[in-house]
Amino acid sequence: MIDEKTARKVLNILLKNGADFSEIFIQKRAVNNLRLEDSKIENSTSGYELGCGLRLWAGESTFYAYVDSIKNDKLVNAAKVLSSVVNGSSSIKVLDLTGTSSSYDIKIKKLPSQINTGGKKNILKLVDRSSRDFNSAVIQVTSLLSDLEEEIFIANSYGAFSYEKVVKTFLAVNVVARRGNNARTGYKSLARTKGYEVFEEKDPVNLAEEASKIAVTMLDAVSAPTGELPLVIGPAFGGVIFHEACGHGLEADAILKDASVFKGKIGKKIASKLVTAVDDSTIKYRWGSYKFDGEGFPSHKTVLIKEGILQNYICDLKTSKKMGVEQTGNGRRQSFRNIPIPRMTNTYIDNGNEKPESILRSVSKGIYAKEFAGGQVDPATGDFVFGISEGYLIENGKISFPIKDAILIGNGPDILNKIEAVGNNLDYAPGFCGKNGQTVSNEVGQPTIKVSKITVGGTKSGNG
Amino acid sequence: MDNNRYKIRGNRLLNISKNAAARIKKYDVDEFEIFTASSVENELGIFKQKVETLTFSDSIGIGIRVFRDKSIGYAYTTVLEDDSIEECIRRAVSNSKVTGRQKYNYLPVEEEFNIKKKLISDELLFSENLVDYSMEDKVALTQELESLTRSKDKRITDIENVIYEDSIYEMAILNSAGFCDKYRTTSCMVYINAISKEGKDTSTGDFFGCGRSPSDININEVAERAAERSVAILGGKKIKSNIVDILMDPAVSAQFLGVVADSVKADSVQKKKSVFEGKIREKIFSIDLNIFDDGTLPDGLSSMPFDGEGVMKGRTGVFEKGYLKTYLYNTFTARKDKTLSTGNAARASYRSTPEVGISNFYMEPSSISFDKLLKHMGNGFYVIDIIGLHSGVNPVSGQISVGAKGLWIENGRPAYPVKEVTIATDILNFCKSIKEIGSDIRFIPGGGYVGCPSLLVSSVAISGK
Repeated sequence: MIDEKTARKVLNILLKNGADFSEIFIQKRAVNNLRLEDSKIENSTSGYELGCGLRLWAGESTFYAYVDSIKNDKLVNAAKVLSSVVNGSSSIKVLDLTGTSSSYDIKIKKLPSQINTGGKKNILKLVDRSSRDFNSAVIQVTSLLSDLEEEIFIANSYGAFSYEKVVKTFLAVNVVARRGNNARTGYKSLARTKGYEVFEEKDPVNLAEEASKIAVTMLDAVSAPTGELPLVIGPAFGGVIFHEACGHGLEADAILKDASVFKGKIGKKIASKLVTAVDDSTIKYRWGSYKFDGEGFPSHKTVLIKEGILQNYICDLKTSKKMGVEQTGNGRRQSFRNIPIPRMTNTYIDNGNEKPESILRSVSKGIYAKEFAGGQVDPATGDFVFGISEGYLIENGKISFPIKDAILIGNGPDILNKIEAVGNNLDYAPGFCGKNGQTVSNEVGQPTIKVSKITVGGTKSGNG
Repeated sequence: MDNNRYKIRGNRLLNISKNAAARIKKYDVDEFEIFTASSVENELGIFKQKVETLTFSDSIGIGIRVFRDKSIGYAYTTVLEDDSIEECIRRAVSNSKVTGRQKYNYLPVEEEFNIKKKLISDELLFSENLVDYSMEDKVALTQELESLTRSKDKRITDIENVIYEDSIYEMAILNSAGFCDKYRTTSCMVYINAISKEGKDTSTGDFFGCGRSPSDININEVAERAAERSVAILGGKKIKSNIVDILMDPAVSAQFLGVVADSVKADSVQKKKSVFEGKIREKIFSIDLNIFDDGTLPDGLSSMPFDGEGVMKGRTGVFEKGYLKTYLYNTFTARKDKTLSTGNAARASYRSTPEVGISNFYMEPSSISFDKLLKHMGNGFYVIDIIGLHSGVNPVSGQISVGAKGLWIENGRPAYPVKEVTIATDILNFCKSIKEIGSDIRFIPGGGYVGCPSLLVSSVAISGK
């Protein structure tokens, strides 16, 4: 994208007023978004962006600038302006650049740019038809198909460079089902870091039917009970609670700012001994996977919690240096417009031994939460709220009625200690995670788990 | 960077647009619209008085919308060289071949402008003071906010985040129906999130300040409020599930009003995702309150001379004396309802087409002070902060459930802090249950600029123990 000589020149200009570290991040990105609603393609947008982010460190401070260009003179000028804010004492220089190696190796079969827009439109039409055919109660289908092809080049003053081509494909469907005045929604998504071959492995028809099934099932939902109850969280997307309420507290920037309850807890018991949790960006084609992170460090599998004992934090380059620990390959950024920060990738609670059915059987009265409508967490305290979008009552060890408008409120670290059972059916689900104004792609995951009790808030008024 | 004073770019944006327009004419399209926007931003984070991060950004982009046989295609690029613009046009045209035909897909014409003249000049929206504010002063201001907040209460142990950000934004629209204009605005914001500790309990509280330039922000007030909000809930406990009266702080009521705002957007209504569908001229609120969407408030951070399609901005009475008067429209949704656009075509950036969006959306305050509202409530829950609103609203059914923290009030006085409870209502019930409005209106940014005073709301379901 730029030659090695230019990269070195820019890195050296960035260092010239005594900075301790410099980095150049170049990104070329082509995206296509197709949106269907009311059985029509409502929007078809294509975008092309090319730009460069320049970063340097001086003492405790990070300075960053970006330009919507990779032209030599623009880069040199931006580097000069950025380095002019530094008044440092380092006298390092960039020598030769060496390519970083990564064991992550994948093959893309059907590039988005090789699929014509008509072919993409047909996928959405198929989703629309399948969702509606599933049940006559389905009255609205919204579906989004997005793809991305990008190239990323990163070089830094330590003399390392990396280059990666990224392909992403994303399909989401949102279904509204109505019976009388009662309307419910169902949502499912499919997302991989690969091309359109993803639809050979997973039929869009199945995705559509799964979303419709949720919406139609929820039409029969009764008001959720309120108060403190045992909770069984289903596999795959259930992992979002661990991601939000615990994962963010394990990100090293929160630790360094004393804004996490997990500070100083490495080697200590922070969860029930049934809990082993992992962040792994090396699982091929997963939504949070990559060859290199946003700082050019190779992807990595990091055990966060082993049998209840905290093992590692989630680090980028800066936080790993500050803490004196190994880099974990979690420095991620939304685009060349953003500074890399510690982020999760594919984060999951690992398999345990129990069968999901026997976990359900152990609950006489409680809640089974399968899908969530997202949530919000205060990372400093771990306090969280999650809306259940597909949930059921458990009565005498069996799933009974679907419940509506239930939310869970609790505290992440507290819940970790209340996990009483972990199933053997680990599965993953893709999503997007926002932090400091940056959105990146993630997967969450877990097997079926059981929490001894949690506060459930519903719309059924009065005492729970 | 201070020696490189910002140079106004409006004419450059227009020239880029004109160049693109000349190229589009070669293609087989009926109409087109070119949107160009540039923003120059600074973002600054301080940690323990040191600059933690400092970001300079300078971006510019173009979005091209073409209309062909009543179908729309869109493409954007940040690379403004001739061949990239040519490719961008080609993609927009190709996208127009797959989208659905809709008879209302054409550019706004002047007869459809409710308001014919600009009601607000962009000079009021642009502060030279911000352009001239030095980086050193921005750093000093943010450092002061951090140290002031720490000094407000001994229990404040850490500052999770203290940031300053500003933006100089310029945009231009040129379309084939003859519209060609530009404007510029400035804005800045500080935000702080304070962590407090007492015994084993940890709490956080945040606050922000914003304006057109740093001199509009009262740093001391931001520090005071963030500290207050952080320590107020220390030692909070769950309360029993019950039905109680609640008093919403403006930081909370404005978020609820934001949910109402989403439901009066015409696209939400037309797509049957609003509880206000079919309710025009109905009394929605029990009391005679007024809610406006006003794109012309001089202090409103969402003010602008014209909207994302070039339709002039004005003031729309959305609810008057408690009655729903109108939805908010862009041109497309207005044509569907056989009415005129209210100037609410909003564009998040050059990356997206104009959707329906609010501008400065606010509930008119009364003259009742906060203390009086507390007294009038007597016993109830004063809600200081909520979490989970975005995922806690079902716009189709109107159900709202969120996590809440605040203070339990007995005889008009704080009794003890409360946390880890949820409050549940639905949009229509919430509107009906508002008993009194305060005088203390406060605006919050985010997807528009929403302003609301404290609200006393009766009989809300709370879940706790």
